[in-house]
Amino acid sequence: MSAVGKLHDRFGGDITGKSLKALAASGQLGYGLPEAALREGLKREPDFIGCDMGSVDPGPYYLGAGEMATAPAMTEHDLREVLHGARRLDVPLLIGTAGTAGAQPHLNKTLAIIRKIAKEDGLKFRLASIAADIPKEMVKQASRDNRMIKLGEMDVPNDAAVDATSHLVGQMGTEAFQRALDAEADVIIAGRACDTAVFSSVPNMLGYPMGPAMHMAKIIECTSISCTPGGRDAMLGTLEGESFVLESMNPDRHATPLSVAAHGLYEQADPFSVREPEGALHLNDIELEAIDHHRVRGRGARWEPAEQLSVKLEGSTYVGERGILVAGACDPNFIAALDDITPALEQTVRDLLGDTVRPEFQLSFRVYGRDGVSLWPTPPSHPPHEVFIMGECIATTAAETKAILTTCKQYFLHYGFPGRLSTAGNLAFPFTPPEILTGPAYRFSVYHVMQVDELAPLFPVAVEEV
Amino acid sequence: MKLTDVAKVVRSKNAGPLQITIDLMFEDRERYNTAATSQSLSPANLAHLYGLRQDRVRVIPFPQALAIKLVFDRNIVAGDPGDKDVYGTQQHRLLLGVEL
Repeated sequence: MSAVGKLHDRFGGDITGKSLKALAASGQLGYGLPEAALREGLKREPDFIGCDMGSVDPGPYYLGAGEMATAPAMTEHDLREVLHGARRLDVPLLIGTAGTAGAQPHLNKTLAIIRKIAKEDGLKFRLASIAADIPKEMVKQASRDNRMIKLGEMDVPNDAAVDATSHLVGQMGTEAFQRALDAEADVIIAGRACDTAVFSSVPNMLGYPMGPAMHMAKIIECTSISCTPGGRDAMLGTLEGESFVLESMNPDRHATPLSVAAHGLYEQADPFSVREPEGALHLNDIELEAIDHHRVRGRGARWEPAEQLSVKLEGSTYVGERGILVAGACDPNFIAALDDITPALEQTVRDLLGDTVRPEFQLSFRVYGRDGVSLWPTPPSHPPHEVFIMGECIATTAAETKAILTTCKQYFLHYGFPGRLSTAGNLAFPFTPPEILTGPAYRFSVYHVMQVDELAPLFPVAVEEV
Repeated sequence: MKLTDVAKVVRSKNAGPLQITIDLMFEDRERYNTAATSQSLSPANLAHLYGLRQDRVRVIPFPQALAIKLVFDRNIVAGDPGDKDVYGTQQHRLLLGVEL
């Protein structure tokens, strides 16, 4: 019997008096797992294990390039740990946002690792994968039908902008996981997914009320970050009908009513409601109560099914080849003159290179020690003793980027400015060559909500026996 | 009194690539109230401090967690060429000098 079949047998359509244990093994699989807490979590014999493997946070590169942010060997290590844990207990393993960004290349890379582990370690199970790539024609049609909702200043993409995306994914919800569970998959590897769906779909399948299930999912998806002190250790959520219990598997990380409530703010623009494809979770009336110094009981969240289904889309577009120039400086006259020097320097570089490079390159400078970090105007302060200057160039080819930065380096070093005393050179290079190619660059070009009539066609489930 | 005299946590992070959210967290109700009732943390004053239009700033008191959430629209999308802070974790600095 499958792992899902066993759950159906045990819960049998009636959850009265039955508790369901969810183990959140990792909130960012592939960066290493605190092993003692995972072992402790497995000892509790959870009914299923979930992991989140990605996020939009690391920026547009990973989605655009189809690359993982995590190291391959570490990713394999983490996947092996959770796969063995789940197979030993014969419980479902659900992994969301495979390979950092959850597009097809990320999903394929993650599946390849899973199959490799299964083969090497002699594991047999039913594997489901759920793709999250959204067809471009569908997005263009949604734009034409006014079914693309803005989430900020970013305009609704026109046809050309949609066509230009390197990868375009949608965040799947519980509905997609539900179909993979219905196929009795033991292991589910999902492309881009709502973190909450990883942990709320099994409770939903067994008939637990969605409000508390979704609320619990929202807290445990980050493992023990909701504790004090926060950390990455496995977290156990035990669902008991209308309430749930939170417990870190590290005895030194304590869930308290305040730490759990505070976690509700994390990375959220709205602490009172969370929008999912199938509805909204309302947290206005939640109650959190300490069971002891280590555990918290939560209740009171309300689930409101959506009248209009929707999917949050993420798209990333290639913008060119990036390179950087690294240099330091401590001459006060040079530092004071920097804002006059860099625009003139760029013009010099453009004039010198002429038609050897295409003119649509971007060249910019961040001055660390002064205002290289702040996104807002910062109040003036004393001139810093030293600054780190990072030039950044994005051009059409790597060779052009290199040519621009090389020319820039030389003329920056020897740039003459009024009041200059240090006529032998303006810059301290920590090493040479100080111009470094970093590879393709991307930007987010889609971050919108798309209204849809059906979710299932967007997130196809594929099943295989391994 | 400065905000940093009463706040336990002043943290910033992206809430998606289009927004930055800053969480102010407090040890007890009294400290929370001191900050929550201060005009220094009004949307108008915060917009002035960060050089933003007022309609791009939201202030959300969250008394259940003794916290105040600030949400700003980013003036550059996270990770765009020219961005300085892809995760948005270092944008709380201006608040450290705020007098309540």
